[in-house]
Amino acid sequence: MTVTSYTERPTQKVDEADGLSVPWSRPRPNRSRVSARAVSAVTILVVLAVWALSARLQLVSPVFLPSPVAVWNKFIVVARDGFVDATLPQHVVASLGRVFAALVAAILVGVPVGLAIGISTVGRGIFDPLLEFLRPIPPLAYLPLVIIWFGIGEPSKILVIAIAMLAPVALSTASGVRGVSQERIDAARSLGATKRQVVRHVILPSALPAILTGLRIALGAGWSTLVAAELVAATRGLGFMIQSAAQFLVTDVVVMGILVIAAIAFVLEFTIRRIECVLVPWAGRE
Amino acid sequence: MPHLVLDRISIHYDGQAAPAVERVSIDVAKGDFVVLVGRSGCGKTSLLNVAAGLVTPARGSAAINGRPITAPGSDRAVVFQNDALFPWLTARENVAFALRLRGVRPAERARRADELLALVKLTDAGDKRIWELSGGMRQRVGLARALAAEPEFLLLDEPLGALDALTRERMQTTLLDLWTASHVGVLMVTHGIEEALVLATRIVVLAPAPGRVVRTIEPGFSRRYASGEAIRAIKADPAFAAARGDLTDAIFEGEAA
Repeated sequence: MTVTSYTERPTQKVDEADGLSVPWSRPRPNRSRVSARAVSAVTILVVLAVWALSARLQLVSPVFLPSPVAVWNKFIVVARDGFVDATLPQHVVASLGRVFAALVAAILVGVPVGLAIGISTVGRGIFDPLLEFLRPIPPLAYLPLVIIWFGIGEPSKILVIAIAMLAPVALSTASGVRGVSQERIDAARSLGATKRQVVRHVILPSALPAILTGLRIALGAGWSTLVAAELVAATRGLGFMIQSAAQFLVTDVVVMGILVIAAIAFVLEFTIRRIECVLVPWAGRE
Repeated sequence: MPHLVLDRISIHYDGQAAPAVERVSIDVAKGDFVVLVGRSGCGKTSLLNVAAGLVTPARGSAAINGRPITAPGSDRAVVFQNDALFPWLTARENVAFALRLRGVRPAERARRADELLALVKLTDAGDKRIWELSGGMRQRVGLARALAAEPEFLLLDEPLGALDALTRERMQTTLLDLWTASHVGVLMVTHGIEEALVLATRIVVLAPAPGRVVRTIEPGFSRRYASGEAIRAIKADPAFAAARGDLTDAIFEGEAA
């Protein structure tokens, strides 16, 4: 029996792309010559072209389908002169204000709840069923109850959005907490950390990437409940603007409002990805 | 005299019929470098975790300076195989972690951390992020971080296991330098036979199923290094080769060839 190589255990990292002739390490021929981005661009152009063409040929009445140019013109007009007593920027600010107020509320409640779920069995027992109950209910279903309880003022609108954001924030935090490596916790404890210090100095920062992912999902969820939240007794906001326009059959404003909501959602997603890069540069590099 | 004592320790894991470790006693005094070796499943890491306070033995007692070990403590800092460093902190902040927990002021923390980084030969790496460091550098940060807690004992769980062979060789002398400079007692787990011989003042050979002590060897090569002899000269000594054969036999004793 030879044992001379006993001390030379293979190092853990084996570079698969380096010098191995196994089939899966060979460079695959790059068969697709077009990028997904280019395909996406073409798709959008085709949709716009079909839209413009069917509007031009009057396949549908302009009341139902305004042309892209009409929507663009409406965008300029509403941005400058306003619609239902407020300019487009004012609508946007009102909506964004509600969503961010709701986000702050969801973080203040959701992160501690997520910590409790991830750290303690009792916490999981208490909050898991509540969140699972809350999560699948559509905002339009709990909206009436929120209004009965909290009235038709601003707090109700923020609450409707915050409820939609709570589950993603809490559940992402919990999964981040459960993913913290035991070695890291043990190392901190053996350096003299108390339980409270472990939570503050090890578990929270370790879970931060997951928490940020949760915020990204929550912003998406909250933004998509905007129209529901602004259904009752709003005087400003993108959702309110769309509903008012629909009641007067001003279809070009409806379409414009939808596009603005989509564009802002895109910007929010992009922004929070940038924030992730700055705040948790270690994510994915460990 | 500080003492880390494991007395007739038996370890049972839930759901396993046989004990992982049965009646193992290990005694580490300040200035000792005790290395646990043995085949997989002999319970060496379990024993280290008992000393760390991370695993509670089914029977037997673990004590440090006469006090029973019930929880982890900074008098016994642990260094793990996969460094377990904090990636949101710089190398310096990682080293200063134990001081931060104790509320030491930032300026003093940084000064102490820089001293320790110099001790592990990482003087210029203080501002580096963890993912910018090589495996060997990370492990040195891990050692400095453990020493910052001013422990009486260092518990090393295969600290060089994930490193490449050349880096390992260099880290062995770093470990010996730290051991002589800091006067701590060391309890270390390793798979490396040569590593055990180079580092240990005492080697405890364990056999599996159940984990038990089969042999205790006092090689004395690390004392020779501490008194100034070059590491290459020591490894080239015929006595070293003989000790290696001896230790290898002890480890594989009783195993079907």
